Amino acid sequence: MNNLRLLLPETVLATLALVIAFADLVVPAKRARVLYHLAWLSAAGVLAWIAFTMGDASTHGVGTLWSVDPFSQFFKLTTLLTCVLCLLLGLDYAELPENQAGTFSALMLLSTAGLMYLVSATDLLLIFVALELVSISSFILAGFERGNPKSNEGSMKYFLFGAFSSAVMVFGISLYFGATGTTHLAASAAAPGPMLILGLVLILLGFGFKASLAPMHFWVPDAYEGAPTPVTTFLSVAPKLATFAALARVFGAIFPLQAYDLTLLFSIMAALTMTIGNFTAMFQTDVKRLLAYSSIAQAGYLLIGLAVGTPLGREGVMLYSFVYVAMNVGAFAVVQAVGSAKGSYDLSAFDGLCKRRLGLSLSLMFCLLSLAGIPPLAGFMGKLYIFSAAVQTGQWWLAVVGVLNSVVSVYYYFAIAHRMFFKEPSDDAAIPVGAYIYGGVAVAVVGVLLFGVNPEPLIAGVRASTQILP
Amino acid sequence: MNMLSLVTFAPLAGALIILCIPKEKEKAIQAVAFLFAGISLIASLAMLPGFSRGTHEMQFVERFAWIPSFGVQYFMGVDGLSYPLVLLTTFMSVIALVGSLGIEKRVKEYFFWFLVLEVGMLGVFCALDLILFYVFWELTLVPMYFLIGVWGGPRKEFAAIKFFLYTLTGSVFMLLAILALYFASTGPAHTFDMLELAKMTGGWDRHFQILVFLGLYFGMAIKVPAFPFHTWLPLAHVEAPTAISVILAAVLLKMGVYGLLRISYSLAPLGFQWFLPALIVIAVINIVYGALCAMAQTDMKKMVAYSSVNHMGYCLLGIAGMTTAGFTGAVFQMLTHGIITGALFLLVGVIYDRAHTRDISAFGGLAVKLPVYAALMSLTCFASLGLPGLAGFIGEFLCFLGAFQAWKLAATISVLGIIATAAFFLRMMQKVFLGKFNEKWADLPDMTARELISIVPLAALTVLFGVYPKWPLDLMNVTLTHMLGK
Repeated sequence: MNNLRLLLPETVLATLALVIAFADLVVPAKRARVLYHLAWLSAAGVLAWIAFTMGDASTHGVGTLWSVDPFSQFFKLTTLLTCVLCLLLGLDYAELPENQAGTFSALMLLSTAGLMYLVSATDLLLIFVALELVSISSFILAGFERGNPKSNEGSMKYFLFGAFSSAVMVFGISLYFGATGTTHLAASAAAPGPMLILGLVLILLGFGFKASLAPMHFWVPDAYEGAPTPVTTFLSVAPKLATFAALARVFGAIFPLQAYDLTLLFSIMAALTMTIGNFTAMFQTDVKRLLAYSSIAQAGYLLIGLAVGTPLGREGVMLYSFVYVAMNVGAFAVVQAVGSAKGSYDLSAFDGLCKRRLGLSLSLMFCLLSLAGIPPLAGFMGKLYIFSAAVQTGQWWLAVVGVLNSVVSVYYYFAIAHRMFFKEPSDDAAIPVGAYIYGGVAVAVVGVLLFGVNPEPLIAGVRASTQILP
Repeated sequence: MNMLSLVTFAPLAGALIILCIPKEKEKAIQAVAFLFAGISLIASLAMLPGFSRGTHEMQFVERFAWIPSFGVQYFMGVDGLSYPLVLLTTFMSVIALVGSLGIEKRVKEYFFWFLVLEVGMLGVFCALDLILFYVFWELTLVPMYFLIGVWGGPRKEFAAIKFFLYTLTGSVFMLLAILALYFASTGPAHTFDMLELAKMTGGWDRHFQILVFLGLYFGMAIKVPAFPFHTWLPLAHVEAPTAISVILAAVLLKMGVYGLLRISYSLAPLGFQWFLPALIVIAVINIVYGALCAMAQTDMKKMVAYSSVNHMGYCLLGIAGMTTAGFTGAVFQMLTHGIITGALFLLVGVIYDRAHTRDISAFGGLAVKLPVYAALMSLTCFASLGLPGLAGFIGEFLCFLGAFQAWKLAATISVLGIIATAAFFLRMMQKVFLGKFNEKWADLPDMTARELISIVPLAALTVLFGVYPKWPLDLMNVTLTHMLGK
């Protein structure tokens, strides 16, 4: 085991998760909220740790099954940031059983730790173990509202589909092992051949499950709809982005997709993911489902950056990922506030929201506009980066499909805006908004506006962290 | 003093202040809106003495790096092409604000969106960096969506989303063309700088320029609107509240023509040349078909909306002429169409506020009852149909003059459009103002002071520019001559 110390942050986080899980046994139920605070503080602590040591070259290096480099550190930041924000949202989510706060937050942290291992993994063994750690905690989290049949259904579908895609991935790994005689990901060990490429494609499908890429996206709407909203938020952001990081490592740095003729496959998957996500989202009436399909479409845009396979494309993926954290968490935070207050996530719950909560409506609209890529919001800068990468390499059709999809997405994002601003409120019930939701929304909106108007610091940060060690 | 930034962002400051005012204080909100739109207008007029008419160079230039790692700059400047349009925008915004005083519903949001819209429009005319231009271009969409969708007529919600999706579809292709230009730019680093890019066009092959032109044209043509992309316009104009129709007609349509001249023509000249035969056909269709459509309308507002399609056709005709007279005509036509059609929409709004109908045949003999209104309406209609002595004539005449040398047949057919334009305006005036007085409207009051304040300045300018067009023409002459390389 070389350089195990490099993985210290995620190991500390995993340990803290276990501490919180055990603390659950001794902390009295009515004080269980303290465990949430403990959890988000742990995640925030590790976040600060990584953020402050990012530029320090001694924290980078190659280990036996992992390599810790600026690229992986960047995605650890996005993962931890999402985790902190989602735990904060969880504090204001009344449907979660109080007495299981420890279990819930421990699972969130474990899932986060798994994602952190994943973004550093350079060996299929570690990748698989990390993915399973993430998946198993996510299955439980998705079904956490035990009284809610939808939550159970979503969790079950998620589990079955997850098991299936794990099997696909393991099959891919076995083919890879057959072709190269090792599970270590290194191009030098591999003679390109049909078996290797088939192995890689199956591994790609396994990743596609976590990143919700078509055709592995079928679990997404049900799982997202049923899961507790903070979990939905987490699932729609953190695993997706971390999987993209792993994809960028495997198919960008180690096995450049151009060298294995995978560009077309990636492009087609990107186009399919965007198109299916957007066109299905148009017909949704449940906001969580709508955002679920929207997050599928967003994965499609991200995949363009990978399909392009250039440094600009990789930077685009990183920039978009960071921005995506802000805009998607912001959107879900408002949805959670409204949905919890109204007891329903139907589109009609948003009728006339602007008359009651103008700030909340504007925040949601900013996040949606950013998701749609309308300037001057941060999402536009992300899309600009990704589409310009496609234009640079002459992948015109991909860019055209991408921009047309952005237009389609405006239709359903504005279906929500339409409800909020054009309709009359259907009842007079108060819409209480917790302090933590306010905090989450504020962070998200500030990020969306700030990085839209002044993206330069973010771009500079991204450019400084593109290095991937073998 | 960064005048252009002041002009552009003063309304944004106003919008942010409005957000902080409680929504019950409607008077304060209106005052703030006027104050900041006024600052913008005064600042843009204050640039007039310093604006040199003798140079084609960009003036009042401001530039600094905005996103240096991507080569994006904050680069603003005006020349003889854009400065008149900046003046038009600041002026028409204040006029439209006067027309907005009647808004009673959700006042705070209305003025907030209005001011944000003004920022976008002004930015489009000042921006000299393609990404900056695109950001401002898109910035107009969201406010317009809300202004139509909340304060509009019966089908407002459909009109709003149709407007949004239609324009966005066009502009995303424009974005791709912009990116293509960026990667085609040579030099130490890629650039989005319009002026730099214009110098590089010689090195790009024709095929590339055609593709870029088509991408850009798609975005511009929808805004113009050029046939067959004009279908959003009648809907949006009719459903929008009066003041917003004014802004739509007076300024938003100009963004398309401006983009054609500033970006398509300078950055893809070979593509532009290649497209000319199609452009002339489109211009003729716009003129004739727009006029015929207007003739078929019974709703006054819809008629005026289609007359915009017709008038924008003149602009396209002038541009397609590729002569100084044609370009000058097109830009002059933009100004006069803004003023005249703005006035027409306001006038239609006046009658609609009183009678709650805009049906042409519902009226009759109104000239007896509403002499002031009838006089102003007649003046504006005559100006719009191109009566010599009024502003509309100059622009149309120059457009025809410019196009006739190169496109004799097209110019000849387009003359039919003038006849049709005259026909529908005269028919409208006859039915509404002349004939037997319809007793149903016996107690209609004539125009109020507020309405006069918004319309009389426009009417005065119509006469002024008709009699003495030299002043606006002087502003633009040198720049346009230089653009043609003559």
